[in-house]
Amino acid sequence: MTTLIASFKKHYKSKQAQETRLAWMLISPTALIVFSIVIFPAVFSVWVSFHDVGLHNLNDVFHAPFVGWENYQKVFDDFAFKFQGMQSWGAAVTSIVYSFTSTALTLVVGLIAAILLNRPFKGRGLTRAIFLFPYVAPVVSIAFVWRWLLDPRPSGVLNDLLMRLNVIDLPMAFLSERGLALLLVIVFEAWRYFPFAMLMILARLQAIDSTLYEAAEVDGANTMQKFWNITIPELRYVLGAIFLLRLMWTFNKFDDIFLLTGGGFGTKVLPVLTYEFSFRLFDFGRGAATAMILLTILVVFVTFYVTLVMRNAEE
Amino acid sequence: MKKKSFIGHLAAWLNWQRFIFSVTLIFFLSGILFPFYWMVSSSFKSRAEIGGREPVYIPAEFRLDAYQELFDPDNESYQNFGQNIINTFMVALPTTLIAVILSTLGAYAIARLKFKGKEALLNSILMIYLFPGVLLIIPLFAMLAQAGDRMGFNVQDNLGVLIFTYLAQTLPVALYMLTNYFRTIPDEIEQAGLIDGCSRFEIIWRITLPLAIPALVSVSIYTFMIAWNEFLYALVFLNDHAMFTMPIKINTIFNDPSPRPHVVMAASTIMTIPIVTLFLAMERFLTEGLTAGGVKG
Repeated sequence: MTTLIASFKKHYKSKQAQETRLAWMLISPTALIVFSIVIFPAVFSVWVSFHDVGLHNLNDVFHAPFVGWENYQKVFDDFAFKFQGMQSWGAAVTSIVYSFTSTALTLVVGLIAAILLNRPFKGRGLTRAIFLFPYVAPVVSIAFVWRWLLDPRPSGVLNDLLMRLNVIDLPMAFLSERGLALLLVIVFEAWRYFPFAMLMILARLQAIDSTLYEAAEVDGANTMQKFWNITIPELRYVLGAIFLLRLMWTFNKFDDIFLLTGGGFGTKVLPVLTYEFSFRLFDFGRGAATAMILLTILVVFVTFYVTLVMRNAEE
Repeated sequence: MKKKSFIGHLAAWLNWQRFIFSVTLIFFLSGILFPFYWMVSSSFKSRAEIGGREPVYIPAEFRLDAYQELFDPDNESYQNFGQNIINTFMVALPTTLIAVILSTLGAYAIARLKFKGKEALLNSILMIYLFPGVLLIIPLFAMLAQAGDRMGFNVQDNLGVLIFTYLAQTLPVALYMLTNYFRTIPDEIEQAGLIDGCSRFEIIWRITLPLAIPALVSVSIYTFMIAWNEFLYALVFLNDHAMFTMPIKINTIFNDPSPRPHVVMAASTIMTIPIVTLFLAMERFLTEGLTAGGVKG
């Protein structure tokens, strides 16, 4: 009997070891690739930000001279980066304003769309699919359609509409005007990314216990009261989570602004500035320093948000 | 019973809530669909219609001028767009295939097997999910330039290099989505297989994968979509027009000194329609995957 148990234990142990071996075998290709093209480069970019790396020494990058905080100093002193009053916000402030406003707007539009689709009507499935179009279509096509709609010539659709409605007399260059350009980029973000918020909110809305609403109706609550006292509290956690995710992704977003305005007219955000330092000036050290500043702002915010806001939301 | 007029019916049906609902719905639908309509319709316009003083809302006839410029070698400003379509497929398909295979194996291990360092591994992979693409592109470019120098391959204009970098963007997403899905498949089904004497690989192949087909489909489409739409890495890594993927080519046509919006719109239409159709066809799988994985965009 004891030998049987012993052999069983031994068998079990070897089974366990076998499982572990198998697990590592299955995961190692993925882990290796992720490590070599993601984790190592991420760490390496910290190193680059403290060294003088340019096109001239790209082939011998590991011997690039150490320059300390010089790259960071250069970025902080750059006119494209620093805040110089309301006329010229600089990339850091623009990035923050841009990502917060467009995330908030995305959330509001997504919430409205989700409430719209939560109510049964004919053709709801198709409508939901159409609502997702902006999110799945390639950003390049979408951005260029928008530019073509906002064309500065009188043949631009928005110019034509506004002139017909007598709002403006002369055609406007919407994307080449400080302030307006940033506003339009924010509207574009909300237009393109609200479907993501909508889907997440919709999933949560459909999980709300309908007896809550029935009870409220018995108590004589109207639609608005039901919305503020039942729907919003039930959605609080999911709204907080979407806000965080979208904020991080928007803060890191390069394509949208680059394609819409090229980062001009008060829309230069940190990812675009990083690109310009690295691939226009070919000063990779300065580019990496900009990216590190971007990451630092993000990490500080996320830590703050997760410890303060999300903890309260969970209670 | 007295017959009501159309207006009477409408008045009976309409109340404030319905009115607000319909107006909002129409506002959303037109706001979403108009840009797409504008893209497709503009691609069929003639040069005169495009360059006129006023926008032409409905093209007089279906003109293929723009498409000829993209595909017809005899056209004076022939773009050879067919090559760009091929390039995009040559990048997107291998990326999808590799990412799905590798992430299936990895996700299975994370979801089912017990091993040390599992959570740390998953977390470190997930952290990447939140990293800015611009942050990684500088070190990747420097590293690959170095590696290319040693091993004798070109970093620029090399679709293989591009596929490699796309894996960095797609693997974490795919891994995360599939891990979540595998965790929803009840363990008992696999236990039953184990008791029947199947090996792990038989279980994966015969039991788990068939059950995970919806998730595999949605992950494949998402990775394909990411690779198909990707712009920044292609912009940095491709210089030669013959190697351009569609997004970079469209950007180039757009920035051409003589503006030809109808050609840009035609190329955009070609790039958008397959992805939107694919999405519509697979909508049911995809919406679930989207909420489960929170696909980055």
